[in-house]
Amino acid sequence: MAFGRKHAVVSQEEASRYVKYEKKKGALAKSLRTQKEIWIISFLALAWVILFCYVPMAGNIIAFYQWFPGQSLANSKFVGLDNFTRFFKLPAFKTVMRNTLVISGLSLTVGFMAPIIFALLLNEIQNRLFKKVVQTISYLPYFVSWVVVASIMLFLLGTEGAINQFLMWIGFLDKPINYLSRADMFWGILTTANIWKGLGWSAIIYISAITGVDQELYQAGAVDGLGRFGKVWHITIPGILPTIVVLFILGIGGILNAGFEQQLLIGTASTQKVYEVIDTYVYKYGIQQGNYTFGTAVGLMKSIFGFFLVWLTNYISGKVLDLRIF
Amino acid sequence: MASKKSHIRQSLGSRIFDVFLYLFMILFAFAMVYPFWNQLIISFNEGSDTVYGGLTFWPRKFTIDNYTYVFRRMNLPKGVFMSVMRVVVGTFTSLFCTSMLAYIVSIKTFAGRKFIRIVFLITMYFGGGMIPTYLLFVNLHLTESFTVYWLPGLISAYNMILISSYMQGIPDSLAESARMDGASELRTFFRIILPLCKPVLAALAIMVAVGHWNSWFDVYIYNPSGDYDTLQMYLRKILLNAEAAQKLQNDQKKYEAMRHLTPTSVRAATTMIVTIPIVMVYPFFQKYFISGITIGAVKG
Repeated sequence: MAFGRKHAVVSQEEASRYVKYEKKKGALAKSLRTQKEIWIISFLALAWVILFCYVPMAGNIIAFYQWFPGQSLANSKFVGLDNFTRFFKLPAFKTVMRNTLVISGLSLTVGFMAPIIFALLLNEIQNRLFKKVVQTISYLPYFVSWVVVASIMLFLLGTEGAINQFLMWIGFLDKPINYLSRADMFWGILTTANIWKGLGWSAIIYISAITGVDQELYQAGAVDGLGRFGKVWHITIPGILPTIVVLFILGIGGILNAGFEQQLLIGTASTQKVYEVIDTYVYKYGIQQGNYTFGTAVGLMKSIFGFFLVWLTNYISGKVLDLRIF
Repeated sequence: MASKKSHIRQSLGSRIFDVFLYLFMILFAFAMVYPFWNQLIISFNEGSDTVYGGLTFWPRKFTIDNYTYVFRRMNLPKGVFMSVMRVVVGTFTSLFCTSMLAYIVSIKTFAGRKFIRIVFLITMYFGGGMIPTYLLFVNLHLTESFTVYWLPGLISAYNMILISSYMQGIPDSLAESARMDGASELRTFFRIILPLCKPVLAALAIMVAVGHWNSWFDVYIYNPSGDYDTLQMYLRKILLNAEAAQKLQNDQKKYEAMRHLTPTSVRAATTMIVTIPIVMVYPFFQKYFISGITIGAVKG
């Protein structure tokens, strides 16, 4: 009996599917008639997206070939993973990986905490006008280009710059330091510049998350004897934790994106051994020196690894914190 | 009694904290603004005097020669023109096409909407990478052209999602009644839907415009001849290119009036010219970009 009923359900489903299909056919013909302009625009949009997004995506295939510009892929030699393994054998590999991981490691720790702390501190300010002014000023550097920031840094950190002047005035330094040519200071300077530029902007999302915390929780907390700092620790921070986790997962996915414009602009010959990261390496050896297949392989490897990391962090955070982003 | 005591103690600690908090925030604001201020005073100081150092809060020998030189001798007006054109054309075309596509994927009776949505969504997660994109642009002869500034960025999948989610908040009955009256889909879009999307479009416009104003790397790799140099590229050249410094030296030999100039002071003036438009504009768009980020966060 159960079997028969199941059978009946299937045929009913089939019938309704058929009806749907017929309806769809009729609707499509009608839509082609009445929504003609919409279809035309859609095809133009599809042509654009295929050309500018999908063709470059497919273009990654050259990573598996020995290919030169102007040559057809059919005439090129398939080399499998040779371009990929070549990267691991290079002497530069270790340096490039170290720099990439150190620079983004600093961004993911110090650089990640800074906007959260700033948002929490800003939330403690009672004077609304002062708060507004500080917040507006905080994202000023986000809106200027890295070229401008690099230019400013050359002034401030130069031998006649304000920072040397100040440190000499308070007696901390005897003679000026040319900071940007010092390899031992590069990571610190770069991280400071990254934070300076992005802090206010990144804090916006936390500030809006803080305003989203249920106000009744604070009243309940006050009744339970929570002080000012207790409220922050037990109510505000848990309240914005989901936001923090989501942004951290996304940050982990970008661990191999250790900046690009910054390095090209403030890096010098004397700091190259500490600033060269995967992206600048791909640009220099891939585009500038014309090693297209090799550069593509390195770039592709980087994206695949980033994807894997997002998936992994998402999985772990789902298991441990019960928070997932997809 | 005991609870009252603890309350007083707490408010004292809290008051001390407040003092430090305000002090910290003032220092913080100073750290954000001072680098720009430093640049500003250098740009208004005589170059030959700047090299002695010690400029902190005010120019010592005030002059506008640095600006005069940048405008007269470095062909800056052309850079201004390119930058402005890029911002205007790039922002307009991108918002126009992206919002139209956002409308198309929001029409509930349109059969292709899901497919198009997915095709564009995929581009958010998978990119072509630097080199395949570069090779494509070279093949399409987009190098050495103004087109390379706006065509590749015509549609942004992310912005499409933001706009279409905003459109879904608009009551269906508005578009329905227009369609009933015989208005075509495009007419409905331009007359009814687009005007209602102003807030989200304003938020995206400022982001897209700032992105165009600030970008320099695409100028550098796709238009190396210098015919399409934007302001950022001018600045980068003075920053890292010995040629610009050489040109200044030659000019100084020729013209007596320019002997006080230095590459540093000229660079400061250029930096300020690139920075000032943004500093003037962004505070007024604050409301929009904050809402833009917040919508993005909810959707993302």
